[in-house]
Amino acid sequence: MPPTTIHVRPTGVPDKTTPGVETRDLARLFRRSPALAGVTIQVVSGRAVAILGANGAGKTTLLRVLATALRPSYGSAAVDGIDVADRPEEIRPRVAFLPHATGLYDDLTAAENLGFAAALMNVPAPDREDRVGAALERVHLTTERDSRVGRFSAGMRRRLALGRILLGHPRLVLLDEPYAALDAEGMALVDELLDEWRSNGATVLVATHATERLGERMDGWMRLENGLVVDLGGVGVIGRVAARPATDLPASPPLAAGFRS
Amino acid sequence: MRTATHNLSVAGVIAAKDLRAELRGRQAVTSTLFLAAVTMLIFGFALGPDEDRLAVAGPGLLWLAIILSGILAVGRLHHLETDDGAFELLGLYPISRTGIYLGKALGGLAAMLVIGALVLPLTVILFAVDVASAVPGLLLVIALGSIGFAAVGTLYAGLTVRLRAREVLLPLLLLPVVAPLLLAAVSATALLLAGDPFGELPAWLQLLAGYDLAMLLAGGLTYGLALEE
Repeated sequence: MPPTTIHVRPTGVPDKTTPGVETRDLARLFRRSPALAGVTIQVVSGRAVAILGANGAGKTTLLRVLATALRPSYGSAAVDGIDVADRPEEIRPRVAFLPHATGLYDDLTAAENLGFAAALMNVPAPDREDRVGAALERVHLTTERDSRVGRFSAGMRRRLALGRILLGHPRLVLLDEPYAALDAEGMALVDELLDEWRSNGATVLVATHATERLGERMDGWMRLENGLVVDLGGVGVIGRVAARPATDLPASPPLAAGFRS
Repeated sequence: MRTATHNLSVAGVIAAKDLRAELRGRQAVTSTLFLAAVTMLIFGFALGPDEDRLAVAGPGLLWLAIILSGILAVGRLHHLETDDGAFELLGLYPISRTGIYLGKALGGLAAMLVIGALVLPLTVILFAVDVASAVPGLLLVIALGSIGFAAVGTLYAGLTVRLRAREVLLPLLLLPVVAPLLLAAVSATALLLAGDPFGELPAWLQLLAGYDLAMLLAGGLTYGLALEE
């Protein structure tokens, strides 16, 4: 039985700035089956929020909609006030997405994979090599720079995919199970990067089962069940809670509780 | 102008990546070229030593080999993207859908031109075809035919790449659409080899060029659908 909540960073009053992420009655169907069934949330810009829930709860679908990989079937979703369905091309430069599959090319080397990503992320040509080198160093893959990715372990691929995010300066970072397949060193790297993105003012959403690991790195959390938000807490996230689960929940921070509707 | 430059720049990056990956992978390149060569050889043996029969069949077999290998090539360039979920990520970069389409089509075109460069000399050797006076025209026809096929093949490969039965569906959907292209390419090739006695060649070349433009336009406008689930 996964933990129903996590302990979050104790912070002050909730921010009253533009939401980094906002959804209204967001639904996404796959062949008439709802993966998201009406999610209404606001995540304050610059906050880090964990998305919890069992497999199939809708965590990945929510991230994919925000990343503009999927269009909402009903309702709306916006990043920095920009609607994902109406103006996805304006959102893409702002968002970095680490999906479960790493999206790497086996027959290219680590440096070539990042170089390709850098070119498509509009990193100026003279800066690309430096940017790629710095990203490889950051994810501890400098020695594997010229190795083909097809020979990499799952953990190394995950680190290289994290390195791809480091090529840009995203305003919204979406991570789907970022600790998956990583060893202790890799997990520590994710922790460092989470802290770094937060300190740079990026909004971070992390779909994960590794609630113990995330610990106080998150400002808030929400829990999905059958495509609905069934609970949320901490600061930085408010929204409509569809139903309370029957399990005993630890008391949520009062400020967050006050924002439920 | 800025959009066109952006699209061409994106296309160049994607095509270079595809070709590099394909050349490194080797199996795909080898199997594609092998299929082209085997097709030509089998028909060469089946038709026997009669030079007249061989010369008549030559243009059709040249294009049969190019098209069969082309289906493999455009399909393979999209399968590269599905091995580890790269296709979805490709659609999330801040780049235009048209640029992605042109990049994929450019990669497919390069592969088809290589195939054409291999198959043309084979046609000369196996089918006793005299191409000495028609080489520039043949190269033009192969280029126009390959552009059209890469344009429409890339679109259909993109639309079917997420489907489980993609290997079956791609040729089933593609072959009816390329029928006018095949007709024009085979006719133009045959006319070139016969010396174009009735001056019909320009009409077929115009049809090929028109087909290419129409398919490139259709692909550029609709390929974005392939990137959406």
